[in-house]
Parts: sequence; C-alpha cells; structure tokens
Amino acid sequence: MSVTRRAVFEELAALTDAEREETTTVAALATAMDADSAAVEAHLDGLAECELARHEPDGSARVTVTGEELLALGVQGAVVVDPREAG
Amino acid sequence: MSQGTPDPSPERDEEVHYDASSSRYDIFECPDCENVVLALGRDDPPMTCHGEPMERVTDVEMSVKPPDVRQVLLDAFGLPKAGLDICLCVIGEGPLSANEVAEELGYDRSTVTRYLNTLVDLGLLQRAELNREAGGVVNVYHSVDLERMRRETLVGFYVWAGEAAALIEEANLTKQDYLEENPDRSLPDVFWESFAGE
Repeated sequence: MSVTRRAVFEELAALTDAEREETTTVAALATAMDADSAAVEAHLDGLAECELARHEPDGSARVTVTGEELLALGVQGAVVVDPREAG
Repeated sequence: MSQGTPDPSPERDEEVHYDASSSRYDIFECPDCENVVLALGRDDPPMTCHGEPMERVTDVEMSVKPPDVRQVLLDAFGLPKAGLDICLCVIGEGPLSANEVAEELGYDRSTVTRYLNTLVDLGLLQRAELNREAGGVVNVYHSVDLERMRRETLVGFYVWAGEAAALIEEANLTKQDYLEENPDRSLPDVFWESFAGE
C-alpha cells in the first residue's frame, strides 16, 4: 500500500515524543499504517533530511522538536524545510 | 521550413477575439464617459457609473495574441521559470527539503532559497522559523490558503494590468501633444522616446 511522506510524519509524531526522546521502529510504523517498510523508511530518510525526524543509533526513530513545532502550526499542503545556521 | 525549426510568425493563427457571449471574462463600459472595466465571475453588470449600470462591450474588432502564463508571471510578478517551477514543485507531496527541491529541478540550492523567499514576498508562500534541535533555526515555507492565493495573484495581476492600462491611456492622450510640440519629427521617434526611462 502506498503511503505519503506527510502520513508517515504524522504517524511518527503520534507514536513518539521529542522532549521525552520516545522512539519507535520502522516496523512498528509500517504496521500501524499498514504500509510497506521500505516505503516508510524512505520517507523517514526524507523527513530526517528536513530535520523533522531523527534516526537514533539503535535504528529507531522519533519526531524532532522542529517536527512537533511544524505540526503545531497546523500547516496543510506544501511544506519546504530549509535549515540554516543560527546568526 | 525545415523540421524542428520554430515558426517565426505563428501569431496571426493564434490570435483570439473577444466574444462577449462566450468569454470567460466581461468588459463593460460606461455609456456616458470613457470608463472601461474588466470583470471576472459575474453574469450581470458588476458596477455602475454615473448611477447607471455599465454596458457590456460587444463591438471589439481587435484580436490579441493570447498570453503565455509563464510570460505573464514573469512580467507581472518578476517570477521567471525557475520561480514557477519551484512554486509548482512544492505544491506536491511534502514535506520536502530545499536540497530535494534543488535536486528534483536541477537548480542550485541557493537558487531555490532565493525563489522561495521571492514567493513569500509575492504572498504565494508563507515562511516560519522553527527551532532546530542541533541549535539555530529552520526556515519552513508553506503554502497559503488557496482562496488567499487566488486573491493575491488576481489582485496582483490587476495592479500590473492597471499600470499597463494607464500607460496605454497616457500614450493615447498625449501622442497628439508630442506631435504638436515636435512637428519636425516622426511620430514613432517621439512616441517611444517619451517612454524612455520609465
């Protein structure tokens, strides 16, 4: 079943927490979304590139503070993330 | 003409003629003065002039070359193809990183960032600063409400069209004055020089 990056992002945010550093696995995400693991992992990589998700050394993943702030904005539709250094 | 060579003069075949009965827009004029207006999305005369409904223009003889949307965006908003490409790209599924947009379209990352900010200035995107876990901030560009985007682009274009109409009106009203002031010069020279530097 095809899955969108946006859907993976929202499910990741529902299953994890940035401040408490609660994580989940690709398999758990794929199961929760009834989606293909490879597709979920590819979207997670894209979200990590956007700094909206973070891969942990043990292979798990979680939403970032940036990701939670983006969801709090309630933005619908297109989003482009352009990280830049402070200052 | 050899195959693959663009036709240098296709304009005549492509010209369109305003037909009040089938047009997607309407042109109205005041029967008592020179007021002419363009209206979209209304079946009835949308406004009055001198307290009376304006009349639909039906005797348009001039044909025009239909506008190319890329040229309109370039002329009206200063939005070249790169900006339009980025605008269309980000409407798809996201979130996307600026690097992904750059790779997808074959532009430099700096070009993508520049046009994202241009699209914000035009009111077609909104920008927010979010905190970054590693420190610093992240710029997030997101689409505006579609209804707002429609209004921004239409009003923006009308401003541009109004400026163009004012120039045409100025030219119509003053070319005779130029001729009277410069009886020894040809009209084309005087006419175009009058707009030099504007």
